[in-house]
Amino acid sequence: MTRQARTMVQPVAAWTVALAIAVITIAIVRGEPSASLAGESALALTAEVAVGLLLVAAAAAARAPAGVRALLAASGIAWLMAEWNSPGAGAAFTAGLVLYATWPPVLAHAALQYGDRPLSGSAVALLAVAYADSLLILGSVSALIFDPRIEGCFDCPANRLLVSGQPDLLYDLGRTGLGIAASWSVAFVALVCLRLAGATSARRRMELPVLLPGAIAIALFGARAVHGAERGFLSNDPTDRSLWVAQIAALALVAAGVASERMRARRTRNRLTELVVELGRSSPAGRLRDQLAEALGDPSLELLHSRGDVEGWVDGEGRRAELPTNGSREVTRVFAGGQELSALVHRRGLLEDPAVAAELADAAVLALEHERLGAIRREHLNSLRASRARIVATADAERRSLERDLHDGAQQRLATLAVAIRLARRQLGPEDQRYEHELAVAEEGLREALAELRDLAHGLMPAVLAQEGLRPAAEALADRSPRLVVGELPTDRFAAPVESAAYFLVAEALRRSAAGEVAVSARRQDGRLFVELEVPGGIAEPITDLEDRVGAVGGTLVATGRSLHAELPCVS
Amino acid sequence: MRVLIADDEVLLRDGLARLLQDAGFEVVGRCGDADALLRMVEARRPEVAVVDIRMPPGNTDDGLVAAQEIRRRYAEIGVLVLSHHLEVHYAMRLLEDVPERAGYLLKERVSDVAVLTDALRRIGEGECVVDPTIVSRLVARKRARGPLDDLTEREREVLALIAEGLSNNAIGDRMYLSPKTVEAHISQIFMKLDLRPAADQHRRVLAVLAYLRAS
Repeated sequence: MTRQARTMVQPVAAWTVALAIAVITIAIVRGEPSASLAGESALALTAEVAVGLLLVAAAAAARAPAGVRALLAASGIAWLMAEWNSPGAGAAFTAGLVLYATWPPVLAHAALQYGDRPLSGSAVALLAVAYADSLLILGSVSALIFDPRIEGCFDCPANRLLVSGQPDLLYDLGRTGLGIAASWSVAFVALVCLRLAGATSARRRMELPVLLPGAIAIALFGARAVHGAERGFLSNDPTDRSLWVAQIAALALVAAGVASERMRARRTRNRLTELVVELGRSSPAGRLRDQLAEALGDPSLELLHSRGDVEGWVDGEGRRAELPTNGSREVTRVFAGGQELSALVHRRGLLEDPAVAAELADAAVLALEHERLGAIRREHLNSLRASRARIVATADAERRSLERDLHDGAQQRLATLAVAIRLARRQLGPEDQRYEHELAVAEEGLREALAELRDLAHGLMPAVLAQEGLRPAAEALADRSPRLVVGELPTDRFAAPVESAAYFLVAEALRRSAAGEVAVSARRQDGRLFVELEVPGGIAEPITDLEDRVGAVGGTLVATGRSLHAELPCVS
Repeated sequence: MRVLIADDEVLLRDGLARLLQDAGFEVVGRCGDADALLRMVEARRPEVAVVDIRMPPGNTDDGLVAAQEIRRRYAEIGVLVLSHHLEVHYAMRLLEDVPERAGYLLKERVSDVAVLTDALRRIGEGECVVDPTIVSRLVARKRARGPLDDLTEREREVLALIAEGLSNNAIGDRMYLSPKTVEAHISQIFMKLDLRPAADQHRRVLAVLAYLRAS
């Protein structure tokens, strides 16, 4: 049987049993009202039956593991059988003798497992005592020695379990059983209080609506046990009835608590569903985190994604991130198809509520997977962009250092040489003309070499660009190459890679255009530097390397016929 | 004339010193970085300091910065900056604060004793000196049509000589013109370019350079 089919069948079976038992209970109470707890009151009977059925209904609707739901339904059904030990029970009388006190241990069992908790050692011991007390001491063993006639109940149906009527032993057994019942009730209340005190706030919010009325119902049962201990059995005197009415109220609250948990889970689901729908429309990076933080109620929530093939984590923007290692924040990892997708870093206990965690897993996985893929893609893009920027920066640094080497080395040496030749000429004196021509040629050659070196150094990486900025550098270029017409240029400084990208764009456009003027203008706007180049003479293709250079600082270059438009971020 | 030489290349510094001594200058000090330059200027008070633009400690434009500092501190001490950079921008930085007793020449002029001594003499007399190569490139720069096109060939020549820092007399000598003719050309140029007549000869260098650079 598939899981889904099983969950369909169980409530149907529970409802059939519960309705049958409810009908029998109504017949029993109506048959002998004076011997029942509900008495003549139709209202009391209605409430009694209704609360039993409510528990079954709540169990069917509960967002809890099947075991807990079965226990909740069983406690409702057992509650309906509390009246079956009445003289009016007819054929059900014997079953009533055994089962009339079964609902408290079943309810206690359901409560202790509620919230998907494993049973602790003390809880198991307590439940063992409670079940044994209800089913054996107060139930079947008492039935073996309970002879209705000896006890003076001449209307009672036959006790089919009767072996031998032992009134004294029955009395002792009843006192003992009720004493034990009172004791375990107190122990149960204590256990519930301890559990609630030790729970995280999220878990307490979820468990309190069920555990508190449950503990009250069990405490009221304990009070009835104390009340009946003297006479050796539970009866239906006015005190019993008052406590019993209070029990109905407490059980109604248990059912309401279970239902409210479902409502809460549904609200969470709705929020998460809205989230998925919204994210389906558009998902800017990092939006999912905000949505999850809002849906789960933790503004400090962080959302990280597994990088997949390689170790490590990235955030929604694709930036590298670390999972916290100290214990102040809790990490919940999300898996899908055996693969680790994402991790939520949140305040402690936020996702302890299994309903919320389950909803998150169901509803948000698609959105998580979607954002994760986006984040990984962004990370790849980021690292590519960074590596491209590094390559260009390295090339620029090499050009700069080459320019410096030329200046401090060759240019200085040649200037020194020129001075040395001039000194030699002076030493020869004006009257000695033997080497005059050769030395003059050497001097002229040196001058030309110096001018060429200066142009070479300038072409590599103009010092004026780094020291003074884009506009002076462009003007200097115009002084060297009269074809360049410098229009409006911002006087501000930009990041060095941006300045050099813009500068080399101009220099290259100038170098690659065959003839005619090249006009450059630029403006700063909205944190970006826009560079416009008009090249009426046309520019030699391809310009891929120029696009690369602009792209390396995160900018774009568009070539349209005889013009180039570059857009560069002011900070790279 | 008392000069001081600052250049981190020792051979060049010594060679230049000998050239200048041969030409009749008194070299009162030699140093190789910007900090030593400032200390030596304070101690020895030369008439002009010859400064290489790129020197330790920064090896960028430390010499230029030190030269500007000297001009600000000592009204009577001139500076001549030698540079491998052709950019007018550097020359204008030098002249910006105190546009007199300052010069900017390309480094390759070091062996041209005539140019060098002429520059030193003019700086000593309080004038400005800007390398002719820089000025001629500036004048030749491609421009959108503007007032410069209205100048006559002669007026353009005069404009370039003004930018080089020459006085009216020097311009007259260079172009074989009478002082009156030079003055007439100059007032004509200033009118055509819509420049306000400068208060003194030094300031007009900066005004013309700024005009040429901006237009």
